[in-house]
Amino acid sequence: MVRRRRKQQEEEEEKEEEVAAAAAVVPSPAASDGEDAPEELSFGAAAAAAESERQLAGEAARRHRELLKEKRRRRQELFVEQKRRKLLPEALLQELAAGRPEKPAAAERDKQPGNKSEKQSEGRVLKQVKQDKARGARSKGNYTAMHLKDQSLTGLHQQTAKDFVYSHLYGPGTNRTSANEFFSLANKKDPVKKAAVQFVDKSWGLEKKQKATKFKKHWISRKM
Amino acid sequence: MGPLEVHRVRFFGLVPAGVRCLAYLPRRRRLALARTDGAVEVYGLEEGCFQEKAIPGHQTRSVEALCWAAGERLFGAGLSGDITEYDLQRLRPARTVDGFGGPIWSMVANGGGTRLAIGCEDGSVKLFQVVPGGIQFEKNLDRQKGRVLCLSWHPSGTHIAAGSIDFIRVLDVRSGRTVQRIMVNYHVPKPKKRECVVWGIAFLSDGTVVSSDSFGRVQFWDWERGTLLESHTVSTSAVLSLAVSEKEDSIVVGTSTGATYQLQLLPVKAGSQEKRWVRTKPFQYHTHDVRAVAHSPTALISGGLDAQLVIRPLMEKVQRKGYEAVLRKFTFPHRRLVSCARKARLLLFQFSQHLELWRLGSTNETGKDGEVLPVCRMPEHLLQLKSKGPEHIYCSCVSPCGGWVAYSTASRFHLYRVQHEGDGVSVKKVPGVPKLLLPAYQLQCASDAGRLFVGSERGSVHVLQLLEPGGCKHLHTLRPPAGTAEAVYLLASSADGNWLAAVSGDWEIHVYSLKHFKHHCTVPTYSCAVTALAIHPATNNLVIAYADQQLFEFSIPEKQYTAWSRTVQNWGLHKAWLERDSPITHIAFNPQNPAHILLHDVYMFCVLDKSLPLPDASTPLLNQSTLKQLPEHARQRQLHAFKICKKFQPLLFAELLEENRLVLVERPLADIRAQLPPPVQQQPFGT
Repeated sequence: MVRRRRKQQEEEEEKEEEVAAAAAVVPSPAASDGEDAPEELSFGAAAAAAESERQLAGEAARRHRELLKEKRRRRQELFVEQKRRKLLPEALLQELAAGRPEKPAAAERDKQPGNKSEKQSEGRVLKQVKQDKARGARSKGNYTAMHLKDQSLTGLHQQTAKDFVYSHLYGPGTNRTSANEFFSLANKKDPVKKAAVQFVDKSWGLEKKQKATKFKKHWISRKM
Repeated sequence: MGPLEVHRVRFFGLVPAGVRCLAYLPRRRRLALARTDGAVEVYGLEEGCFQEKAIPGHQTRSVEALCWAAGERLFGAGLSGDITEYDLQRLRPARTVDGFGGPIWSMVANGGGTRLAIGCEDGSVKLFQVVPGGIQFEKNLDRQKGRVLCLSWHPSGTHIAAGSIDFIRVLDVRSGRTVQRIMVNYHVPKPKKRECVVWGIAFLSDGTVVSSDSFGRVQFWDWERGTLLESHTVSTSAVLSLAVSEKEDSIVVGTSTGATYQLQLLPVKAGSQEKRWVRTKPFQYHTHDVRAVAHSPTALISGGLDAQLVIRPLMEKVQRKGYEAVLRKFTFPHRRLVSCARKARLLLFQFSQHLELWRLGSTNETGKDGEVLPVCRMPEHLLQLKSKGPEHIYCSCVSPCGGWVAYSTASRFHLYRVQHEGDGVSVKKVPGVPKLLLPAYQLQCASDAGRLFVGSERGSVHVLQLLEPGGCKHLHTLRPPAGTAEAVYLLASSADGNWLAAVSGDWEIHVYSLKHFKHHCTVPTYSCAVTALAIHPATNNLVIAYADQQLFEFSIPEKQYTAWSRTVQNWGLHKAWLERDSPITHIAFNPQNPAHILLHDVYMFCVLDKSLPLPDASTPLLNQSTLKQLPEHARQRQLHAFKICKKFQPLLFAELLEENRLVLVERPLADIRAQLPPPVQQQPFGT
């Protein structure tokens, strides 16, 4: 605490020195009591002091202005970016604008016969172009055309009927086994015992077999 | 004939569709069969069961019920809600009438064949009248909640019994009202309380209603009082189908496990008047669900989801205890599904909705009899052509040079030009195919690949010229002189391009001259269906195989049977030859030796040597194995014309290529079974 106080005292002293220095340049009213006569100040010193102060203030103001400009610039860029993202790619817009110059105009005329505002019509043209683009894109993408007639109730009824038969023949209550097991059992019960049907499943050890064939190819090619 | 190099082809992945419905026509002894993929076939059960007509399926068509009405008209109904009449002469669905009740589960014709009753998803039973032009809606009977799964007319036509879920009802036809409602879900032990589905029903003339349900029971009810007369539990799994004989003394039922049972009305004591229904014979011929059964006067017929049609003659009904009393099983169609391009050594496989083109492998080694030779070049799958649209393929063919592939569906005809570049192929569709009346029922390429013959309806054959580099032009249409309503189902062309033989559905064989484009002659009529036909490349003799296993050779230039054919008829064919199960589906010739004819059916292939004597009744027909062991001089005495080999079965196709190569396409039953739907588990004792 004592140290801090001493630091504070030192700082105060420094400030006082500065103030004193400033006061030495510019007569501060606080320092003077009002009883002494005004101090003698040369014009050059005073001018220099005023200039430096002006410079400082000017720099501060400039910095402030720069900061604001920077902020404004960033905000503007952000808006532009967002707008760009919202709209379509440039090339496509150009293409559409070139390909269908009359349609947006016609649409614009049809849709808004009374509206003459440029911005609104522009917006509508954009929307129209966007809709056209959407419709045009679907002709290139994956889609299936379905006959509404096929989607009638017949298919649903048929599926229910097939499910009924399936559940009663192959459902949980029935005692079904796979063809493999059934015929393998028959092979084992025969007087002449045979191997099980599908005794070797081709999907066993697929990876190992593939590795083996690759190695074989590699080894043969190295030998050559 | 020297040693043959046999290409044993087993990469034809045919899986036939399961049998869904059967309908027996007693007057003409015909059996109509519907499969799960919508295909409808008609078999003639008189002499050798031959598949006379086949209507290919459709992706959206599902046939749940099939019946004969008004003589020989065939009607089918399915889950699409339509009643379809099938035109058996033009081999296509003729007319469709919407039932307006949702999916149709069952359809039965009354005794006289004048009315049809259908049972619908919404619980209504509708009546239709069969009129000459088609069918006409008559009226709606009483509707109750619950889908009507099975129907049966009383023989007098006054009442209809309808089976639903948990109950059976009897409707009076005149008033349309339900006169009796019987609950089926009683008499079931409490822990097994689930819904009881009545899969099959039959109405007997004494007022007994027979029902088969999903608990494995066959029950007999008195419809007037609504009481249970008898109950037989035949199986632990569902009893899916039921059929009654005409005399009403025998019932056949099919279950989910693949077993079929016969129940007979037998007197309680010998000579007493009182009769009772007794479960007599169990049969296990199927591995999967038996969804369709029919009862003919002498046999029990069943069809299962394992694609087998089994005809079991009843011993007590069969007159002659000979080969007629033998069990018959049919799995494969009696049509040629494989085409061979002989010069290019390619095989074309016809599936229901796509075609596959394969190149045969080759080997450089030779070996002894019976040895398996290592393959130096594997068979390659060159091309897969998918047919666009839901229709199934009627027929297909490939030209002998392998450059043209053609196939036809019900409404489209496709022709492709196939270019062989090194090891691969490129295929291009031929535009501008002439507008012919479709479908094409049979296709055949001429030997020099310049022409394509298209068998069409009314016995007519179109001749198309195939132009290089990829085009086609209609040359001429050949028609039989008398005209016929039936469609052509077999074609054969001669190697020199002068003659064409065509068989239509009325079993008439017409021979046309291609030089002058006119009818040449007609082969004398025979009472059986023609199963295979071919023209000899050197002598231009027409070799014909019939459904009763008879063989004829007709000389086309001379317009009469050859001397060898008359000898065969006078001598008679061997008993073992006539007692074969399956018909001959393909005839081929040996380029090296003009006296050889190669025939095959499902269980054997035979090289017929015309220069050797015919076997008499005492010599065994299958003597190849004994001949191999005999010394040379003894062998000469015992040789006869029929050289049969039964090593490769079941066979779908056999053909002789150049340089003593034989191609055999087999389809092992084990490979089909591995791809069938899941069967019911059976726990044999000890497992």
